[in-house]
Amino acid sequence: MLRYYATPLIILLAGLCVTASVRAQSPPVTVSVTVLDNTGLPLPGFAVSLTPAEGAAPVTDTPHAVMDQINRQFAPHFLIVRKDTQVRFPNSDSIKHQVYSFSAAKRFALLLDKDSEADPLTFDTPGVVELGCNVHDWMLGYIYVVDTPYFSASDDKGQSEFVVPPGSYTLSIYHPRMQEPQEILRRELTLTKNQTLRLPLTRALLPDFSQYNADDEFGQYE
Amino acid sequence: MKWLMLLLCAVSVSSLGTEFSGKVQAVWHQSDLPTTWLESGTGVTRFDDNDVALQQTVMRIKHTVVPSFDVQVDASYYADGDQHLGLTQLQLIYKPLLPSRIKWRARVGFFYPEMSLENVDTNWLSPYTYSQSAINSWIGEELRTAGAEFILYRPGRAVRSPWSWEFRAAVFKGNDPLGSIISWRGFALHDRQSLHHERLQFAPYPTVIDTNVIWHPDWVEPFTEIDGKWGVYVGLHLDYLRQTQLRYYYYDNLADPNAVNDQRLYAWHTKFHSLAMQHNITTKTRFIMQWMTGDTLMGEHFVYTQYDAFYAMLSHRQDRHRFSARVDIFDVDEDDIFENDQNNSHGHGITVNWRYDVSDHWQVGVEYSRVHSDAANRVQFNLPTAVTQQQTLLVSEYHW
Repeated sequence: MLRYYATPLIILLAGLCVTASVRAQSPPVTVSVTVLDNTGLPLPGFAVSLTPAEGAAPVTDTPHAVMDQINRQFAPHFLIVRKDTQVRFPNSDSIKHQVYSFSAAKRFALLLDKDSEADPLTFDTPGVVELGCNVHDWMLGYIYVVDTPYFSASDDKGQSEFVVPPGSYTLSIYHPRMQEPQEILRRELTLTKNQTLRLPLTRALLPDFSQYNADDEFGQYE
Repeated sequence: MKWLMLLLCAVSVSSLGTEFSGKVQAVWHQSDLPTTWLESGTGVTRFDDNDVALQQTVMRIKHTVVPSFDVQVDASYYADGDQHLGLTQLQLIYKPLLPSRIKWRARVGFFYPEMSLENVDTNWLSPYTYSQSAINSWIGEELRTAGAEFILYRPGRAVRSPWSWEFRAAVFKGNDPLGSIISWRGFALHDRQSLHHERLQFAPYPTVIDTNVIWHPDWVEPFTEIDGKWGVYVGLHLDYLRQTQLRYYYYDNLADPNAVNDQRLYAWHTKFHSLAMQHNITTKTRFIMQWMTGDTLMGEHFVYTQYDAFYAMLSHRQDRHRFSARVDIFDVDEDDIFENDQNNSHGHGITVNWRYDVSDHWQVGVEYSRVHSDAANRVQFNLPTAVTQQQTLLVSEYHW
């Protein structure tokens, strides 16, 4: 019985070894992605991520990130982190905040007294986390959690560049002002050589309402 | 006062989640007669001579009992007036964490309705001028909500809208004598807020204190319950981004004007509309205005007045400087059975102010105001009815 299976098993193991050996020896490829709006203009600040089809290697050193509160706004407004990142929530204001999220990817509430800092939170579920403050209703922020080490925010030209091992990947983009479901702009890629991609949005961006960031020095009875 | 002591004790047990803020303002003032109403005169400015005084000594304690539930206490010390130390506000504020786009919150206690866009500094002070508008000077001395306020609101940003709104409704007691001071003294321009349990003095107009005419003391305790009835107000706030704010309130204390207590204080049936607006022209310059119109009735038409008041203010910040200028117009018209108890008054005022932040905690400022008031009942003291008072204030402030 054992002999019956031994030959194909040896062939399979040998094949895997050869494949692994080839991959280890293959030079990395460069992927350049440009995010454009529905009129063809470049979009900076978009999250672009490449997730390996075989799954990301487990995190060895816990990554850290910061979501601060400055002048009664989240800083940054949009934070991209890798899964299992510990995010600190300091309060740089001289008044208290109560930061919360009801998003499925992370539900929490933190009371942040002035000049205080709560224990960091681990964001262990990929997805979008919308942040609010129960003291200052105009405050809005986002943490986007990705399950890959290959992610970045697009630069002023709407570009992101990755150097990754050859293989199969899922390319995703996200931004809070994007109207399309993420699935529509998702691409399955098999990378064997350098690639340049352009990803135009199909719909106009939502208004940004950055005017909400205007800090009125006199809070409303607070 | 017992409330304040109890609260201070409670807060001292744990300073966790407690915010302290406050300020002390010392003033050198140069002011015209007539004598201020605080000293039983008919003047409409807080000071009436040249001297040094304490303008404000205020402290706010805000303690988070549990997340979403706060206790806030505003206390003041004044050297002038009837009572020196006391509370101006005490409120329990509940703001639950809700996932819905339309949310609610509530507060109970003793507090100001948030109808003013001028009084946005700590302890309901104005960060713009020391002498406040005629409207909010009156609110500060006679109006407070001793009751509960429910607020339904929708913040705009979370729903990707430039518009945010709030609907407010409140029930209250303990504000029956509201309207007394503007019916006799008329409107005034100042920052002397009345304390809880305080007696608000005004001139001893002979027709007011005469037992054969009005038969009322020459003072009022504004936060007194006389008829046992609840009052109500409703308010609507509408904001466009954080650039423009609009606030409309309708207030009616639903008092029985024939109810009178053993101090001879009446329940005045007082109702008014208030409309306030702020528009930030740039990030440094803002325009603020408020208009109020209403009436008040006391007794069997013993006193009935209709009143209107308006102010418009422009304020500009340049680095550490803030420049503010405001014009006020106010008018009280009577239509009651006692012609010899005059209640007609009207006037206008202009206030210009410069404040300079010396450091994070110190500020200095200069203010000049000129207010013209014409009060018919000054004839009862053989005074000219029309008076123009000028007041200059040099203020040094420490805040924390």
